[in-house]
This record gives sequence, structure tokens and C-alpha cells, in this order.
Amino acid sequence: MVNETATPAEAAAPAEAAAPGAAQPAEAPLSAASTPPAAAPAAPAAPRVAIVGAGPAGCYTAQFLRKRWPDASIVIYDRHDAPYGLIRYGVAPDHLGTKAIAKQFDRLFARDRVQFVGATDIGTTITLEQLQAEFDVVVLATGLWADRVIDSFQTDASAPVPSGVYGSGRLTRLINGHPAESTEGLHIGRRTVIVGNGNVAADLVRLMLTSAEVLASHGVTADVIAALTAGPLEHIDVVGRSPAGVAKFDVAMIKELAKLPDVRFTSDSAEPPASAVTPDAPTLDQAKAAAIRDLVDGSPATASRTVAFHFGFTPDRVSGGERVERVTFRATDPTALPATLELAADSVCTAVGFTETAGALLRRDAIASPTADLEHGRLADGLYCVGWFRRGPVGTIPANRADARTVADAIIADVEAALHTSPQLIKETR
Amino acid sequence: MNFVILYGTESGNAETVADDLVDELSADNDVQSIDMTDVELDTLTADAFYLVVCSTHGDGGLPASAVPFAEVLDAEQPDLTGIRYAMFGLGDSSYETYSRGSERIDERLTALGATRVGDYGRHDASDGSLPNDTALEWVRNLVAGLDADADADADLDDVAAVAR
Ligand SMILES: Cc1cc2nc3c(=O)[nH]c(=O)nc-3n(C[C@H](O)[C@H](O)[C@H](O)COP(=O)(O)OP(=O)(O)OC[C@H]3O[C@@H](n4cnc5c(N)ncnc54)[C@H](O)[C@@H]3O)c2cc1C
Repeated sequence: MVNETATPAEAAAPAEAAAPGAAQPAEAPLSAASTPPAAAPAAPAAPRVAIVGAGPAGCYTAQFLRKRWPDASIVIYDRHDAPYGLIRYGVAPDHLGTKAIAKQFDRLFARDRVQFVGATDIGTTITLEQLQAEFDVVVLATGLWADRVIDSFQTDASAPVPSGVYGSGRLTRLINGHPAESTEGLHIGRRTVIVGNGNVAADLVRLMLTSAEVLASHGVTADVIAALTAGPLEHIDVVGRSPAGVAKFDVAMIKELAKLPDVRFTSDSAEPPASAVTPDAPTLDQAKAAAIRDLVDGSPATASRTVAFHFGFTPDRVSGGERVERVTFRATDPTALPATLELAADSVCTAVGFTETAGALLRRDAIASPTADLEHGRLADGLYCVGWFRRGPVGTIPANRADARTVADAIIADVEAALHTSPQLIKETR
Repeated sequence: MNFVILYGTESGNAETVADDLVDELSADNDVQSIDMTDVELDTLTADAFYLVVCSTHGDGGLPASAVPFAEVLDAEQPDLTGIRYAMFGLGDSSYETYSRGSERIDERLTALGATRVGDYGRHDASDGSLPNDTALEWVRNLVAGLDADADADADLDDVAAVAR
């Protein structure tokens, strides 16, 4: 049965009554990308839209659809009690400017008559089929929530993986106060190895070296702070597969690390030959390599904490007894020397990307029809996908805005074309 | 008055500012809001007053939706003499390139002959606040200043009329 509170009619009513912004003019006609077809019906469409997932992709999609269709009924479902997905449970708590993007989405619910229905897992609380029966358009924006595991760390079944290997998704959820995470079994120790060289790895370096007072000021709870600082942490190795220039970090993230007090940074990255650098307009590769070099050169010669960057190494295995003691890497380029890298570690944090949760009921490839047009987010008739769920676990929050615009344009085109050929279509299903 | 808001956005915050400026100004004025991506150069006119709202992306870069506008300005080098605009920049002072994205547009407009009027509005997101209230305060001051200038011009006209 469909949960009572979740039916669109019920859900939309209170929001509508409390909507002072109801008269807000629609700006859609100004946007070239959403110009209606020449023979578009005079009255704007008012389809019923369900969006699954209140992360940035789902919220941006709601914004674009609301601009086009002031009278559509739009409901966003989320399995969490509170909206905003990884803005709430992924983005580092000290990145207040990024967290603040959620405030523009508050306006969707406070004033733009979009209804939020939390604590509702689509697939279990309500099935996808039930949702499709209730709504003209269903958009899946459920993200990718499982830490990708490093296969070679999963040694054979006879030798279980030592404890002390943590995924960055779990750690960042914990730091962000996710209700289902706990510090149980978490032991970072004095030396940790972070595997990966994307922005999430940089977030972890920064957060792990941030003082307890500052973490507390950003709302990190006492038990989590205690678990992170118990070591106390003295050394972090950060190991990435690629050379520094093509590492996935953004330059701004590296520059930010320079603000951490009392940390010495080192790097094993080979300096690019001076002749290869274009001084006036450095390429992105050069800018990244230079950011690392500046970080290293600008850090104190001695400090009570050290961070060592290693570039060009692929994870091989973790070893130890019950707990991890050592991590081994081999050179990504088989001709490079040294051929291996062996690091002592009290814990290992993997920050190598995200994937679908094992056993997830909504899986993109299982749902996509043979005629799916994934490039525009079309999974099947009336069923769409957007955000990380559509295009994989890459891209920052703004990338989901561009994505949402593409998918919203496809939805608008489909609904308005259907309305044009058969104007009763939408009304009849009411 | 005829206001045209040009916004350059990455995360959408600048667009919500543009929406709020439309709401604020539309009671007394003609207002339209356009994403910089969609601006056609030959529509820029001295008959309108432009409110340019632009964020900053990454390490001081232009936000995605402002990039095509900057490129077309660079390529076509239009003469913008007579065009009047005011600037509102969004940024985060925890990065050294605070508000730099908006300056990149401002520098281009000025270099091409347009005239910036009023205070350069800025919002700093490093404390997690929304830019919208800061922008509304900025636009109210700006409009008060424009009205005062218009009154002064009108007074001068009156004086001129009497003297004639
Ligand atoms: C640790 C981390 C830090 C990051 N930091 C930054 C940063 O600083 N700046 C930046 O720009 N980007 C950052 N990103 C990237 C950014 O978070 C993503 O680009 C973005 O969140 C993806 O948006 P989404 O809406 O596709 O997915 P999500 O944000 O994951 O949202 C998906 C939503 O769907 C809900 N959901 C899932 N399954 C179901 C279901 N079956 N039923 C109902 N609801 C469901 C989830 O609860 C969630 O709310 C970070 C990512 C991570 C992992």
C-alpha cells in the first residue's frame, strides 16, 4: 500500500496553502534551452512529478521543473528524515559555503510549493511501480552510496581482511552526524594511509588534522572527535595511482591544506622539467603539480604532524594480524622505480570512489528499458534519472545542476509533446 | 526604470539572487533576468540598466554559465559605451580568490567602455550565509542612489528651464 502521507494530493495540499510565493513569475520563456515547441498548448502543463532523492540532483531538477510548470505537483521523496543527500552527509562540515547551497533548496519547500516526504525508501516503503502509477513523471536521483572497495584488499577467504580499513563514505557520514553511523570499531591510530587522490581524500587529510575545538565549532559530535583524535594522529600517507599533475584534486583543495598549522608536507612527485612548464599560462596539470610543490615548499621543516604524498602507486594488499599493520602498493607504471611502496599503518582510509549499494533495489541498469536514452536521463516511458545515479560518482554539486537542466529539458519536451498530441492524456489519469 | 539582470552561476545561488532581485524590483520597474549563457550581444542597450550578478568558481574562475559570455566579449570586442551596470559578486573569503569571478566580468565590461555605477556589492559565503539578503540591501541602496541622481538631473533640468 502507498503510505498515506505520501500520496501527492495529501502531500501537496498543506504546502500549497502555506505558499506566499505562489504568484512568483515563471522565467522559463527567457531561457533559450527550454523554448517551447512552436505549437505548444497555451496553458502550461501541470503534470504530477515524483522525484526520488533530495540530494542536489533531485533538488535542481525540481527547481527547473517548477520554473517551467508553476502549477505542477512536485513531490521529492527521500529515505532520510532530512533532505539534501551528500550536501548534508558528504560535504565536509568546515566547507560552510558549499553546505550553504542547501539553503537555496530550502526555498523549494518553503516557498515554491515543492513537497518533501522524508523517511520514505522507494523500493521498500513504496515500490517504484506504485510511484509510477501515481505520477506522470518519476525521476530517480538516488545517488551512489556505497564505498567502492579495493578488490586486491579483499584477500582470499581463508585470510580475512584485517580490521582498520575504512571507507571514506562511512567516515564522512560519521563526521557529518549521519544517524546510522557509529564510531564503534573505529580506530585511526597514529599513522593512517589514505588511498586515493581526489577531493574526498583531501577532505579527509584536512579534517583529520583539524583541531578538536574547530571540529566542535562545526558541529562534529564529541564521540566522533574523540575517535578521530585519539591516536593522536602523527602521520598521514596519501597515495594515488596517477602522477601529481593528473591527480583528481582541485587546486583550491590543495591550497587550503596550507592553512593547517604545524604540519610538514612532503611529496615523492618528480619535478616536471622546467622546460615543460609554460610560465604565463600554466596548464591544469602544471597548476596541480605546482600546488603540491608550493604546499611542500611552504610547510615547516619540522612539525609535530607530517603528511607524505605518494604519486603513481596502485594499492596491492593490506597485511597484519587482527588489525592492519602494513599496506603495500606497486608502481602504476610497471617500468617505474621503485616498483613497490610499503607503508606502516594503524589504519587505512579508502577514498577511491562510490558505487551502488549491494542489494540496492533501484539499480540503473536493471531499470533502463531497451530504448533508454541515458544521455538525456530517459530510462523508460515517464521514468528518468539524474545526478550521480545517472552518470556515475563523478562531479561536484554544480555538475548536477547542469545535469538537472539537461534532464529537466528532456522531461519538459516529452510531457509537452504528449500533451500536444493528446491533450487529455494528463488530465484523464487524474 | 528598465532593469536587466545578467547572472552568471555555477551552483545556482546567483540565480536565486537574480530571482529575488526580480521580485524586489518588479513592482515599480520593468525587469527581466537572463542567464549570461543566453545573452545575445546585440540586445545590450543603453536604454536598460544592467544588474550583473556573478559568482566565483573553484580557484578564482568564472562560473560555468558566465564562460560563454566572457568568451563572446573577448572574441567580438563590442563597443559598450553608454551601457550602465552595477556589479554584485558572490564568493567565499576562505579562498584567496574571493569574489574574483565577478571581477573577471567587471574588468571586461569596463574595458569595453561600459560604466559601472554605485557600490560594488559583494557577498562572502564563508560563514554559510545566503547572498540573497545582502543583495537585496545592495539593490535598495543602488536604486535609491539612481533615483537621487535622476532627481538631481531633473532639478538641473528645472534650473536650466528657469534660466532659459
Ligand atoms: C564525501 C564527499 C564529499 C563531497 N564534497 C563535495 C564538495 O565539497 N563540493 C562539491 O561540490 N561536491 C562535493 N561532493 C560531490 C557531491 O556531493 C555530489 O556531486 C552530489 O551530492 C551528487 O548529487 P546526487 O543528488 O546525485 O546524489 P546524493 O547527494 O547522494 O543524493 C541522493 C539522495 O537520494 C536518497 N536516496 C537514495 N536511495 C533512495 C531510495 N531508494 N529511496 C528514497 N531516497 C533515496 C539519498 O538519501 C540522498 O538524499 C562530495 C561527495 C562526497 C561523497
